[in-house]
Amino acid sequence: MIIAATFEYSFNLELAISDLEKRGIPRENIGAITLDKQVADRKVFDSIHRSDGISLFDGAAALGTVGALLGAIYGFVLEWGPIIWMLIGFVFGAGLGFILDYSIGKIRSLRNKKVSRKRDQVGDSAADVVLLINCETEKNELVEKILWDNFAIGVGVMSENRLVNK
Amino acid sequence: MEQLKSESLRNLRRPKGYISVANVNLLHLKNPWVTAWWSAAFPGYGHIIMGSYVKGFLLVIWEFAINYEAHLNTAIYYSLLGRFQIAKDVIDINWFLLYVSVYIYAIWGSFRLTVDLNKLSILADREDSMIIPIKIGSMEICFLDKRVPWVSVMLSLFSPGLGHLYTHRIPTTLFLMANYITVVYYSHVLRAIHYTATGAFSQAAMILDPQWFLILPSLIGFSIYDAYVNTVEYNRLFEMEQARFLSDHYQMPNINSVLADCLGGAK
Repeated sequence: MIIAATFEYSFNLELAISDLEKRGIPRENIGAITLDKQVADRKVFDSIHRSDGISLFDGAAALGTVGALLGAIYGFVLEWGPIIWMLIGFVFGAGLGFILDYSIGKIRSLRNKKVSRKRDQVGDSAADVVLLINCETEKNELVEKILWDNFAIGVGVMSENRLVNK
Repeated sequence: MEQLKSESLRNLRRPKGYISVANVNLLHLKNPWVTAWWSAAFPGYGHIIMGSYVKGFLLVIWEFAINYEAHLNTAIYYSLLGRFQIAKDVIDINWFLLYVSVYIYAIWGSFRLTVDLNKLSILADREDSMIIPIKIGSMEICFLDKRVPWVSVMLSLFSPGLGHLYTHRIPTTLFLMANYITVVYYSHVLRAIHYTATGAFSQAAMILDPQWFLILPSLIGFSIYDAYVNTVEYNRLFEMEQARFLSDHYQMPNINSVLADCLGGAK
């Protein structure tokens, strides 16, 4: 029978695999398919689960710094002093940089609309790896437990017995 | 076995990253204008973003020294406030011209470095080069891990350098912390924050030293940005390394017969 499980890239995935090997599932009976993922609209911030490195952070950081600098300077002659104006400048500049980055990205993605089929959302817990384990029916429960214990996103079974029984 | 050997040799030529006890250094794609911009904000920062530490640290130290001696920040401060005569008077022309060429080199150099490293990064990706994801030394342990980008942003916001400590970039941590403490102390910013918090705005403006205070925005902005980028890139490197390991070692050579066994039961 084949047990399939989905995982994120993580230490737990390797722990699961090594545990399986230790419990007598030979390496030839374990297969890992690493998934290329469809990229949806680029997200505002990269997360631990998904990071494309082209989030909207470049413009916000650059203009936020400029805004903070200008706020700090003109704050010396303005009512509330340099500290508060530096913060205002930072928020304003970062916001402006973010909006600029965002709209440039929107224009680009509109232009590329024909090429890239967009999906609404790729969830944060989207699977990175499909793990296939070929094992005897007696080991089914053990394998499933190891997979679940190591935070598999999902686990499923395909068995010859089910078909035979029909 | 022999194939594995030649492959690992090949992979030595275009590495993607290098893990040492104190630091993970890696090649990553970057918009050269972004690094050039950070070099313009503070010479050396562009090099540090790309992982060129010695050059970056040298340029930052150079900037601290020459800018301070030439009173450049003070001059910028007065110029932007429209008090041009004071700006002219405050500049120390015994130092000022030293600034120009190195400043422009820093911007140009980091731009060029980024273009080159981008190419090397693409080559390393195509070669699918191998890295060893952990290094244990007698004093430290350094390993690739998945970390939360937002956490490094917040840590850097609270104290520049902490975000880099979180991602295990020890040289940058030490350097940024030393910079930060120096700037905070000489700019009197903490006292100014106290005065601002109690509503004594004019006192806050009076006590701040623009020469040092103007460094703060780029220092904090850079710390946040760099820590964020590192976290994201380390996460990607972690995934890349693990994906490579899995596809090298777990490919079920007998997959066809296994599937046939499973499906064959139907007949």
